[in-house]
Amino acid sequence: MATKKLDPLIEAPLTTEAVAVSGRRMSDSRPEGWINKIRYNLQFVRGRGAFEIGIVFVAIIVVFSIISAVNPKGFPFLKAENLSGVLTQSVPMLAILSIAVGILMVAGEFDLSLGFAITFNAIVFVRFTDMFGVWVGVIGGILSGVFIALVNAVIVVYTRIPSFIATLGMGFFWGGASIFINGTNAALLNPELTKDGNPFEFIFAHDFGTFRSQVVWLLILTVIAWFFLHRHKLGNHIFAVGGNSAAARAISINPNRVKLLAWTVYGLLSGFASVLFVARIPSVQPGGNATADFTLFAVAAAVVGGTSLLGGRGSVIGMVVGAALIEVIKNGLILAKAPGFYLQLFVGVTIVIAAIFNRFMEGKAS
Amino acid sequence: MINELLRLEKISKDYGPNTVLKDVSFTIGQNEVVGLLGDNGAGKSTLVKIMSGVVPMTSGSYFWQGEQITNVNRTETERLGVETIFQDSALVPQMSIARNIFMGREITNKLGFMKVKEMDAIATDVLDSVVTIEGIKSSRQLVQSLSGGQAQAVAIARAVHFKRSLLILDEPTSALAVRATEALLAYLTQLKGEGVSSVLVTHNLHHAFQVCDRHIVMNHGKKILDVRREDTSVEELTAAVVEGETGVKRFREGRF
Repeated sequence: MATKKLDPLIEAPLTTEAVAVSGRRMSDSRPEGWINKIRYNLQFVRGRGAFEIGIVFVAIIVVFSIISAVNPKGFPFLKAENLSGVLTQSVPMLAILSIAVGILMVAGEFDLSLGFAITFNAIVFVRFTDMFGVWVGVIGGILSGVFIALVNAVIVVYTRIPSFIATLGMGFFWGGASIFINGTNAALLNPELTKDGNPFEFIFAHDFGTFRSQVVWLLILTVIAWFFLHRHKLGNHIFAVGGNSAAARAISINPNRVKLLAWTVYGLLSGFASVLFVARIPSVQPGGNATADFTLFAVAAAVVGGTSLLGGRGSVIGMVVGAALIEVIKNGLILAKAPGFYLQLFVGVTIVIAAIFNRFMEGKAS
Repeated sequence: MINELLRLEKISKDYGPNTVLKDVSFTIGQNEVVGLLGDNGAGKSTLVKIMSGVVPMTSGSYFWQGEQITNVNRTETERLGVETIFQDSALVPQMSIARNIFMGREITNKLGFMKVKEMDAIATDVLDSVVTIEGIKSSRQLVQSLSGGQAQAVAIARAVHFKRSLLILDEPTSALAVRATEALLAYLTQLKGEGVSSVLVTHNLHHAFQVCDRHIVMNHGKKILDVRREDTSVEELTAAVVEGETGVKRFREGRF
């Protein structure tokens, strides 16, 4: 490189000596042999959420299975109906919501109106089904989810008030709106639709014996969400904006647009989950607890799965496993005939421990 | 005469009733390292934001290689090749080095899905060749596991890889260790040889004096000094930064 005449008093480090000291190139230090390759790749998985919680999940499944094998009557965890009910029905509902909330959290946003929104979407679904048929109803329910999410998004993104307070307020609004359009009675889905053999029932709530329709939806949505968040450039932008929106803006990513996108994806998923919810129950009660619980359980599942409340960190696999972990623990407690408060107690402790654990692991991630 | 890269004419900026910049004009030449100096509140950061198109100016003109740019915004400056490295916010700590390098400029297929392996490989190559950085194991490492100096180097490597023509560094040395600072200043000189101009914003005069070809000193929103390195000294720059216009005057009178 060109040398330049410098002030003799203050000598600039012109040569690259100070820089190129080690001379070791990264491309030369590739691992060889399959065991080293696994080790090498493992270090990039550690501390990013999904891996650790996956181990905990497998451990709990193993423990529950052993207890159940020893004592099948007292703890029928391995019974086919139980497994199919938990893993393929309870888990998918929470896991889809966990993915929805998780993607939003990666973008650095948060929604406290989820439970109320599910009720509202579900009512829209039921009413549209009565009026225009079930398929219009399904689309109506999903679009209702997108609409509610976008209202939240516009408020949060353009007024810059924290999503925490904006969605708290909007939650009450949609709760009131649900009662306004439906009254306080439960909205009942046309019972014909949930009879065995109806195409709607087959697609959204069928029991195939060993598994139910919902789990197929979960698998499909997990794959789509994974490719979107971890492999698509738009997902990459969500991570960038959630992690450091100033850096994203400096590189000419528009943070507002990315946040609107994250809210839209969230709306699509939560709207779809609302339809799944009604397909299973098959009714929805305005002001009831059944949907309200999902607000915080979905956040809990995402956090347990390693998603950061501050944005920029999370994985789709972690979100799904987090939801599965919560549902399996819940199921274990119910099977052990633990009183209801144990359920809250355990889930509460699990969430806090998981959050502390993740905080600790975040520092170790390399 | 050096070919001009960026020329600002009579730039003013008001934030409500406060005038932050008043009629500031200067030129940045091709293959030139310019130091932008001044005390806190002198208007350096605002000027940086205007140059990089993040903040619109109240009045004034923006010329790029002699052509006036009427609508200066981030998309436009991105197209021109201006890259700003803010002190703490150049990179996303939770993302890997490779993802940071390709942030917003991902290599994708037609559907927008990223070619992750290709990005990792190119990032490794960039880190190995453009700027050699000690202590980085892999381009898949998260940026949060890097030191301040390594992170700055990654940000610079990114700018070089994408053939940016003007690099603006806002207080890059304030968080760095001595060694990392030296390396960073060396990069700037190296970049000049590769056709990248840079603006170094700092209040560390010694760092600026080591590498900058020209110094612009700001004081209370006005440009009070614009000198080539040969025509000034650390002492004069210090007087200008600390005492403003009176300092420059006093120093010149004392000197001549």
